[in-house]
Amino acid sequence: MRKIVSLMLLLVLALGLAGCGGNQNANQGKSNNTPAQTGGVAGDYILIGSLQDISSSTAAWGKGVVNGAQMAIDKINSEGGVLGKKLKLVNYDTKNDVNEAINAYNRLVNQDKVVTVMGPPTSNIGIALAPITEQKKVPIFGDFMDERATTKNDGTPWKYMFLGEPSCSQQAEISASYTVDKLQLKKIAILYNQANAYAVSHVIPFTRYVEGHGGQIVAKEIFQNTDKDLKAQLTKIKNANPDAIYVPNYLQENALVLNQAKQLGINIPIIGNNSYFYPLIDLIDKSITDVYFLNNVTFDDQEVKKFLGEYKSKFNEDAPLHAFFGYDNILVIAEAIKKAGKVDPEAVRSALENIKDVKGYTGNISIDPATHRPLGLSMWIMKIDKGKYVSLEKYLPPAQK
Amino acid sequence: MQQVINGISVGAVYALIAVGFALVYNILKFSNFSHGGVMTVSAYFGYFLASTFHLSLLVTLALTALFGGLCAVIIELVAFRRIRNSNGPLIYYFVSSITVGMLLENIITIFKGSTFYAYPGLASNTVVRMGSITIPVMNMLMLVISGMMLLVLMWVIMKTSFGIAVRAASFDVNTSKLMGMNTSQIISLVFFVSGFLGGISGVFLGISYTLYPQIGQMVVKGWIASVLGGLGSLEGAVLGAFILGMVEVYLVSTVGAGLSSVFIFILTLVFLMFRPQGIAGNVVRDKA
Repeated sequence: MRKIVSLMLLLVLALGLAGCGGNQNANQGKSNNTPAQTGGVAGDYILIGSLQDISSSTAAWGKGVVNGAQMAIDKINSEGGVLGKKLKLVNYDTKNDVNEAINAYNRLVNQDKVVTVMGPPTSNIGIALAPITEQKKVPIFGDFMDERATTKNDGTPWKYMFLGEPSCSQQAEISASYTVDKLQLKKIAILYNQANAYAVSHVIPFTRYVEGHGGQIVAKEIFQNTDKDLKAQLTKIKNANPDAIYVPNYLQENALVLNQAKQLGINIPIIGNNSYFYPLIDLIDKSITDVYFLNNVTFDDQEVKKFLGEYKSKFNEDAPLHAFFGYDNILVIAEAIKKAGKVDPEAVRSALENIKDVKGYTGNISIDPATHRPLGLSMWIMKIDKGKYVSLEKYLPPAQK
Repeated sequence: MQQVINGISVGAVYALIAVGFALVYNILKFSNFSHGGVMTVSAYFGYFLASTFHLSLLVTLALTALFGGLCAVIIELVAFRRIRNSNGPLIYYFVSSITVGMLLENIITIFKGSTFYAYPGLASNTVVRMGSITIPVMNMLMLVISGMMLLVLMWVIMKTSFGIAVRAASFDVNTSKLMGMNTSQIISLVFFVSGFLGGISGVFLGISYTLYPQIGQMVVKGWIASVLGGLGSLEGAVLGAFILGMVEVYLVSTVGAGLSSVFIFILTLVFLMFRPQGIAGNVVRDKA
């Protein structure tokens, strides 16, 4: 027994030493023999970290974010970079796993010494990272829409967490207002993934808005990550006889719901969140129509069309919505570094808090210092009409104006 | 009534998975989770056939089934044969099968990415309507095919000399070897048939639930169905699959999806504790 314990201790010690040695080497290698003055700089590059799912269930999005970000970085670098230096993305795979993401964030801070981290578009991970940023003090700017990723329970913001698009409750309110006030649909059913923080935090404010504005929730059905056949839930919803169904989940789940609702002969409007972009249209029955969903961009915009074309020629697939997030995230981060005037996480953090009117594809982004979320970003209402996306209008509910 | 149809159509999906799964259990007495990997790879192979060559559903199914069978034979050669030759303990098979399953899933993720795909133009959404009730054609087809496969398999196992060999081998692999049977050949064939069914399941899963690298994880449902029905029993696997489908749908419509999975796993545990031989009641023997 004693022998084993001492052997283990020896092993731990050896590993520890090896680890330290490795770190030093890594740092020396990265700084190209110039003394490392400030964090975030390696040679002629300013390093921006990135945490995206590259190989698991939300990898389609993660890759979109990275590709979009790279397009922004290439553009900025070709125009001379920021503060006389070029930008470089250091991306780690989170595998859509909270623990992987935390380890990767620590690695970005401790070893790569990045100045800022572009965060994942998944709320579960954003929420888990928030308390850790308080110790590591390197800001994260990302698209985790759940409010809990940017503000604490008492309403004050997490100091180092920033959101780049309207939050869950803002988006859910836009959907709810459009359904009740504009489409005049009052009896609503909801079908959502209970295991997903993102979906859950859409449902709560949506319900609140509908019930506060003369509507009624007639059925609320849930499913889990592993459920692929939702016909039992949909049959229950059908029997509740609603005017519309609100379906705010991740893309593939939304596609399954649309197809299976069609199979069951449910022909009422479906109201969606902002996870109905490509490739959803290719996954659903071509006869499906009357699906209204939110989007951060519109295809009627010439600039957006140009971006989609460039993306396709570069990466040989249709850009997901998240490519625009990646692009806009880098624009904001670059602007913050420029404003800070130096490559220092603390200075960039202060600059991020006061970002004003950065013109991106998803709108003019201004960060509210009180919530660390964007202010007054309206969204597009889009419709799926027999195998096609149609942009309807830019919408902000009266309450958010 | 619609819920009963829903239960049967879910059961049909599980039945197809469960039979392929039970077949290997029948002879080697371990739960072959690499079956999930075979389903994933086949689903992508079928998608490749359907989208590049625009083959009809039946041709796609047939070719993919052959491909799945081949995959399973290769997996047996690579992952299980050495363990069998050295008389390794059951746990090695189990670990090896899970590893292969994950390996295939990750290979697909690397080479095909993890965007979602949909099978092109295979009429996945057509339904038969009877009054207020709708029956998805794809689920009916699955039901018919898994039923046919089961009948053919039962006939083969009960009536042909190959079947007798399989039964002998499933009783005791080593003794049959001593009796001069070529057990390796028989086991390869069993894996081929199992993979054949895995290929068919893969295509159907891809059509019904869109294509993504984790699609093979549905194998867990096949496993639960096998436990309920009786591990290693083919009729039991089908029976278990339909019971699982019905119970799931019933629970979702009464207690909701959240609790339903809890109940399903409790049910599985209860079966493992009090009736490990499952409903069909084949006595499961551990490999000596």
